[in-house]
Amino acid sequence: MYEFITGPLLWVVFAVFLGGLAYRVVWYVKGLNWQLDRVAYSAFPAAGAKGAARSIFYWLVPFGTRSWRVKPGFTAIFFGFHIGAVLVPLFLAGHAVLLKERFGLAWPAIPQGLADWLTAVAVVSLVCIAVRRISLPEVRIVTTWYDWLLLVIAGLPFVTGFVAVMHWGDYQFWIMAHILTGELLLVSIPFTKLYHVVGFFLTRAQLGMDFGIKRGGRKGRNMPW
Amino acid sequence: MPEGKLCNKQPVTTKEQLDALLADTRGRIYYEEMKSLEVDKEKLRNSLKASLKSRTKTWLDMCAHCGLCADSCFLYTVNGRDPKQVPAYKIQSTLGEIVKRNGDVDNAFMLMAMETAWSKCTCCNRCGMYCPYGIDMGIMFGYLRGLLFSQGFVPWELKIGSGMHRIFHAQMDVTTEDWVETCEWMAEENSEEWPGLEIPVDKEGADIMYTCNAREPKHYPEDLAEAAILFHLAGENWTVPSEGWEQTSLTMFAGDWEGCKQQVLNVYSAIERLKPKRVIGTECGHAHRGTVVEGPYWAGRPDGQPPAPYIHYVEWLAEALRTGKIKIDPAKRIKEPVTLQDSCNYVRNHGLALITREIMSYIVEPGYFIEMTPNMEHNYCCGGGGGFNGVGLYRPQRNMALRKKRDQILATGAKLVIAPCHNCWDAIRDLEEEYKIGIRWSFLKPLVIKMAIVPDHLKPKEDEE
Repeated sequence: MYEFITGPLLWVVFAVFLGGLAYRVVWYVKGLNWQLDRVAYSAFPAAGAKGAARSIFYWLVPFGTRSWRVKPGFTAIFFGFHIGAVLVPLFLAGHAVLLKERFGLAWPAIPQGLADWLTAVAVVSLVCIAVRRISLPEVRIVTTWYDWLLLVIAGLPFVTGFVAVMHWGDYQFWIMAHILTGELLLVSIPFTKLYHVVGFFLTRAQLGMDFGIKRGGRKGRNMPW
Repeated sequence: MPEGKLCNKQPVTTKEQLDALLADTRGRIYYEEMKSLEVDKEKLRNSLKASLKSRTKTWLDMCAHCGLCADSCFLYTVNGRDPKQVPAYKIQSTLGEIVKRNGDVDNAFMLMAMETAWSKCTCCNRCGMYCPYGIDMGIMFGYLRGLLFSQGFVPWELKIGSGMHRIFHAQMDVTTEDWVETCEWMAEENSEEWPGLEIPVDKEGADIMYTCNAREPKHYPEDLAEAAILFHLAGENWTVPSEGWEQTSLTMFAGDWEGCKQQVLNVYSAIERLKPKRVIGTECGHAHRGTVVEGPYWAGRPDGQPPAPYIHYVEWLAEALRTGKIKIDPAKRIKEPVTLQDSCNYVRNHGLALITREIMSYIVEPGYFIEMTPNMEHNYCCGGGGGFNGVGLYRPQRNMALRKKRDQILATGAKLVIAPCHNCWDAIRDLEEEYKIGIRWSFLKPLVIKMAIVPDHLKPKEDEE
């Protein structure tokens, strides 16, 4: 079982994950339309690239934009979750071992203690995000069952992985649960709005190009995000 | 498919239709007919298919429902933080539903969508700056307005506005003759005080072609005279076209995309006919947005540029003051607390925030200019943008919306508000009328004329007797 879900099944999962995301990117870029979007994407590539880069960069920096700064609590839990959610799956020592064994890839890893902390912060942040969804009327009104489902799908691999690493229960059960929920998350990403893992960069770049090319960038004024 | 005589899916294209609409006081019959206007679902589906592409689709699909846009929207905060005013909710419950149901929506839904599109969003685009994904709901509301217009669900005044543009190529019934006469009249009227003052019509190859807002010739022609005086003072070689002088676009507020294209092509053909070195538009925000920023795309120009460099009045004025074409008498600079309204359409949406501040540095005594909070790109809409000012049906909502600007102005302590935008100017006038906070408001032109140094050769000659 373990051999299968970390071997052939994992291959399939990665293929679906990467193929699905590649499709999303191609579909998005092909669907851009200079006239309907009212952005002369190809007429001003330098202004567009600069606008796109700024638009992505400032939003990746914690407290880098005014929107992040006026909502420090949300910003803290947002980055609290995302930093762990990106770094731990990619650079956990246990994952690196698996990649070496199954795919023969030499992969860098972060110290286990750091990974534990990042995971704990991510899980706590996720709980805060859930509490926020329930308690703030302006968030509650836009929340649907689909948002809750995605929150669960996104959270499970971190919770199960943490329990397994901490040896808080039956290790075999939790590690299997972790692998399966992790794979569920990976396959879900391209098929749900979790595709924001690439979509974030696409939409940020698009609006950045809009401001860079049409809405002020060529007037020598950078958008103060 | 039942349609009203006044309220229907066809845009107004004849004088008779326009007069019939105008005769219907406050759109009483028009709105009554709208209650039984059927939705052409097939047409709606086809519109979605033709124009809903990956950008807008992704904006709708990917929204994380995080609610971060709520506080960015002045209509949300000014309406007691009503969750139904959260931008994401407003767009998901209207455009989002239309897309989800692939056009299968009914009359009641469209009435709700119309109210949302024109009374709960001014298309100020502020939310787009606060969304981590850069989802610009102002743009989506513009798109939704287009869908609603094509189905006949549009406020009465904006149906009229769109008709005016289609018939007169102007937002008001100002004909070419009216316009040219007004130009002559204004030049004549001011020639005693300003000898040699001209408003040259249809001069080819001038340095500047000037375009304006139809309300200027129609209701306050002195604005046109002031523009002429300042060009005269600056020694500019300028002209106005007899056709294609109207820069505004109520068609844009109405969501009448075909009308938008017709309007802007009318201006561009004047540029092509007169071949000026550059074009300067009046102190109006949406006119600039419509003709300079969005217009080239409606006209199908792949580089997104108008046929000649086309700048906003504040850009020309800043340049004239910077280069000394117009000199300010330091003794006459503004010496009272004064604040400045940033127009969304050319500040947030065209990068001119520092230009207006440069003008302030020339015309206001140091220490008297007070910024609103927030300001520049982050400033709030005046409260009347996107057509909100003009729709009688939503007047109570508009008056509520004005409270944001009222409070921002009160917080500065200034009694004078400079508003280089027609819509902002109107909204600030209306907020003074509604809330009586004791402020004055002004465009830049009259202020600058009062403080400019007039060179001797431009002064009236003394009587030689």
